[in-house]
Amino acid sequence: MFETARFESERLVPASAVIGLGLAAFGGMMTLIAPGILGDVDIAALLEQYPSVMVEEMGLGHMGTIEGFIALELYEYVWLLGLGAYVAYTAAGSIAGDVETGRMDTLLAAPIARWRLLVEKYLALLTPIVVVNVVVFVGVTGAVQVIEETIPVADLVAVHVLSIPYLLACGAFGMLVSVAAPRRILAEGVAAGTIIGTFLFEMLLSNTDLAWLGGIAPMRYYDPLAILTESTYDPVGGVVLCSAAVVLLAGSAWLFGEVDVQ
Amino acid sequence: MPPIQTSELTKYYGDVRGVEDLSFAVEEGEVFGFLGPNGAGKTTTIRTLIGFQSPTEGTATVLGADIRDGAALRDVRSDVGYLPSEPSFNENVTGRRLLDYHGSLRGDVRSDEMLELFDPPLDRKVREYSRGNKQMLAIVMAFMHDPDVLIMDEPTSGLDPLKQEQLLEFIRTEQQRGKTFFFSSHILSEVRKVCDRVAIIRDGHLVELEDVESLLDRSGKIVRARLSGDLDADALALDGVHDIEVSSDGSEDGDEGDGETAIAKSEATSVTFTYTGAYEPLLRQLLEYEIFDLTIEEAPLEDVFMRFYGENPAERVEAVENGKPVDSEIEQGAGEADV
Repeated sequence: MFETARFESERLVPASAVIGLGLAAFGGMMTLIAPGILGDVDIAALLEQYPSVMVEEMGLGHMGTIEGFIALELYEYVWLLGLGAYVAYTAAGSIAGDVETGRMDTLLAAPIARWRLLVEKYLALLTPIVVVNVVVFVGVTGAVQVIEETIPVADLVAVHVLSIPYLLACGAFGMLVSVAAPRRILAEGVAAGTIIGTFLFEMLLSNTDLAWLGGIAPMRYYDPLAILTESTYDPVGGVVLCSAAVVLLAGSAWLFGEVDVQ
Repeated sequence: MPPIQTSELTKYYGDVRGVEDLSFAVEEGEVFGFLGPNGAGKTTTIRTLIGFQSPTEGTATVLGADIRDGAALRDVRSDVGYLPSEPSFNENVTGRRLLDYHGSLRGDVRSDEMLELFDPPLDRKVREYSRGNKQMLAIVMAFMHDPDVLIMDEPTSGLDPLKQEQLLEFIRTEQQRGKTFFFSSHILSEVRKVCDRVAIIRDGHLVELEDVESLLDRSGKIVRARLSGDLDADALALDGVHDIEVSSDGSEDGDEGDGETAIAKSEATSVTFTYTGAYEPLLRQLLEYEIFDLTIEEAPLEDVFMRFYGENPAERVEAVENGKPVDSEIEQGAGEADV
């Protein structure tokens, strides 16, 4: 049971550790320098120099508070875009990569169902998701202690916990692309590119009549800025993301059962 | 039911034909050779049989499971071993970890025993493996769960001659234990060594299916004789004599020479032909001449296969299938000098 998930998880541990430590260092540093910047720089005056649309769209108005600063510097972009794209990219390489190299042959020759293989490879994505979340949470929380500021721990916990459905949805999308794309590099590009594309799409449409179209973007359902600055959690968004992940995963498992592995 | 049976198995990749209308059965306990040049459709057949791709038309069964039924095929896979033509593994893992992993997927009852015969450096990462080491690792994986049916795609490729021999020997031993082998290859000598029957595939079609022995029998013997006197091809016009070449000794440029030399040279005639009949009439015929030299040997398997692979294959194959003599186009170079 779960031999494939275990095997694939082991493969992802080094990258997970490096990304986790890197982001924790980045987040910790941002937290440590935040009081200095917020004390020295007149953020409100600075933002007046920016186009008001940009300030509004990107939520820069929250920049002046410590939690808003951390949310914008770390979670709103690096986390949403960077980590989301990374998980989608890794998922996209999993099936497509094994098929392309011929590694899939020895796997499929074993008495294991294709859907099961796919689901286990997907579950292995929990390794980077959990490791990076835990390490970065510890890093940021520790830095907050050092600067003797208070950010509600519940908000920090929520920003990480609610990112898990978001990242799982990105991963499930990556799995679908991995099965559908003819080549690995294409799968990886499409998966990561789509995460970034939907992010921009959602942002551009957000205050137009077509804002509803932004509903296809996973970022619509997970808002780190709102969690940290307003303590507004969106559990429904989490449920939507989980459901999307299940549907995408079921779709990719079905498709993988149908396609020729060449 | 035969362990492997195909009926009108057809696989197209879009408009490109992989294989078409293949029907054959692999019997229990036999080593079934599946031969063809590169691109003939060997790997396509194997990948369809193992369930990696679904047939366009027709079907096949492996241990009773229809290859179109994924669940049924999965159930029998614990009794099927598969050796891909170009085994590939995660590079950043040791061979040992891979064996553990694959053993946990398919069961491991004899990897220790296998590793005594095929010994890749298990504690090194696969990235450092040579082609031969990867092949050995794949061989261990194919046999580790002690399957009843082995499907092997060019199994000796990448192995050094010693290991190749060891693998063929191992296949023979396993066959005695009742295992069935489906063995694709383009190397004739190894087919000769281990296979009981052989199917020949060309351009996606099955062109021949026969015992290796009968194939060789039918391809006949090569007879080379040096006989006294001056004789022509008609003198040896027996049933079963094909592609006869006659040459008076030294006749290439000797006929126009001085009389004495010409007479000396014409005292003996060399004949070479392929013979598919019984020995007795042949020997009786030959004994009408004084025999200076005589060799009768098996036609090389290569010649047999050239009939299927060579130019203008349609005619050639038809001729062989009907048991008629095959035109000597292949041996044109040698033939046209004297006939």
